[in-house]
Amino acid sequence: MSESMDLAKDVRTTQDKAGNEPMFRVRNLHKRFGPLEALKGVSLDVQPGEVMVVIGPSGSGKSTMLRCLNFLEEYDEGEVYFDGELVGYRILPNGRRVRERERRVAQMRAQMSMVFQHFHLWPHKTVLQNVMEGLVVVKKENSKRAAARSIELLRRVGLADKCDVHPSLLSGGQMQRAAIARALAMEPKAILFDEPTSSLDPELVGEVLDVMRSLARNGEPHRQATTMIVVTHEIGFAREVADRVVMMDGGVIIEEGPPDQVLRKPVHPRTQAFISAVLH
Amino acid sequence: MYVWHFDAVFDNWEVFADGAQVTAELTLFAFAIAVVLGLLIALARLSRSAVLRGPATFYVEAFRSTPALVQLVWIYYALPILTGIRLSGFTSIALGLGLHTAAYFSEIFRGGILSIERGQVDAAKSVGMIYFQAMRRIILPQAVRRMIPPFMNETANLIKLTALGSILAVYELLHASDVLITSTYRPLEIYTATAIVFAMIIYPLIYMSRLLEKNWGARAR
Repeated sequence: MSESMDLAKDVRTTQDKAGNEPMFRVRNLHKRFGPLEALKGVSLDVQPGEVMVVIGPSGSGKSTMLRCLNFLEEYDEGEVYFDGELVGYRILPNGRRVRERERRVAQMRAQMSMVFQHFHLWPHKTVLQNVMEGLVVVKKENSKRAAARSIELLRRVGLADKCDVHPSLLSGGQMQRAAIARALAMEPKAILFDEPTSSLDPELVGEVLDVMRSLARNGEPHRQATTMIVVTHEIGFAREVADRVVMMDGGVIIEEGPPDQVLRKPVHPRTQAFISAVLH
Repeated sequence: MYVWHFDAVFDNWEVFADGAQVTAELTLFAFAIAVVLGLLIALARLSRSAVLRGPATFYVEAFRSTPALVQLVWIYYALPILTGIRLSGFTSIALGLGLHTAAYFSEIFRGGILSIERGQVDAAKSVGMIYFQAMRRIILPQAVRRMIPPFMNETANLIKLTALGSILAVYELLHASDVLITSTYRPLEIYTATAIVFAMIIYPLIYMSRLLEKNWGARAR
C-alpha cells in the first residue's frame, strides 16, 4: 500500500497544489472508433467523495467516456487526470505524448475499480475467489487476510452465504453485488459504474441500487466516502443519491448540475425529451 | 485364406518396445517444443505490434501449407548444406515435428484465447492486473478448457507423424517394424502389430481428454 502511495505522489502533475485537487479532471476528451467520433470534447471535474451520475441516450458516449477514465479505452485527444496524474500517457521531454508503462497504468486502475453492465465475474472462480483475486494478485496480500476481508465485503452486500458458489449459480442481482464487492475489495479511491442495472430483470434492480446507495451515503468509517461515477438510466436513483448529474448527447456534455435542476427543470430541450422518455 | 502367424510378433516383442520408446521420446521432445513455441507464436499473433504479428503469421502459414515430410527432409538434407549445421536423424525429426506442430498448436491457443469474451480481460484490468497476470489467472485457465479437445487431437496427430522418422532411419516404431520384416518376412502380422501399438499409445490420451472435458464441463457451467 505505502509503495503505491509513494508512486502516486510522483510528479508529472499539472494541478495547482493550493486548492482542492479533483479526483478526476477531464479536459477536451476525444475518442474515435474509425470514422465514428464517440467523444467530441468532454471536459469535467469530479471532486473526491462526489457521486456523479451520467445520463444520456445510448450512443451518446457515456460508457466510452467512463472507459477512457481508467484507460480501458485509449483516448485520442485531450487529457484525463486521476488524483492529479495523467492517465495512460506520459509526456516526453520533447513534448511528445507516449503510452504510459503498463504497470503504471495498472496501478492507477487498481485505485479506481469498475463495475460493468454484464458483471464480468470470472466463471472459473468461486464468488469469494472473484473478490479476493485483486487483493492476492495485485496487492500481494496473503490469502488468509484477503479471504477474511473479502468475506466481510460479501456480507456487506448480502452474499455471505454464497462465498463458495460459482457465479453461474447466482441471479443477476447477486452477480452484480458480487462484482461490487470485487470492486470494493481494492479499496479504490473511485468506483466507475457502467450501467450496473441495465441488464438486470426489473425486480432485481432494487437490491443492486440499495448497495450502491449505501456506498454513496457512507464509505467505510475510517475513510472518506468513495468517489462514484455512475452511468445509468435510473432517474430515481440519480435524484436521490447524485451530487451532480451530467447529461451527454452526441459525444458531448450538453447539460450538468445538481439533480434537482437537471432532472426536474432541465434547460436543454434534448435533456427534457430524454428525461420524459425515460420516465414516460 | 491368409494364415496369420503372430509368432514373429511375440518372439520379437522387445523390438516393438524399443520402437515405442523412441516414438515416445520423439513425441515428448517435439511436444515440448510445440507447446512453448506454439504459445509464443499465439501471443505474438495476438499482439498489437505488427513487428511480432507479421513473422508469426508467416510462420504459421508456411508450416501449415507445406507437408511435414518435406519439412523433415529439408531440415535433414538442406539445412546442413545451407548453414553447416548437421543434425542427427532423431534431432531432425524431433525438431521438425516440434516446429510443424507448433504452427497448429498456436492456432489452437489463439482460438482458445480469442474465444474468451473481452469483458473478462476488462474486469481483470479494472482491478489492476497487467496483461501477463490477466492471461495467467483469468484468460488461460478458461481458454485451456476449450482448447483441450482440439489440442488432444493435434497431439494424437503428432504421435502418428513420428512414423515419418522411418525415412531418416530413426528407430521409431515403424522403422523398427520395417527392420523386423526384413528378417521375419511377416509384413502383415508386423504392420498389424505396429498399428495396435500406436493405438495403445494414442487411445489413452483420447480417453483422458474425454474425462477432462466431462469433469470440467460439470464444474464450470
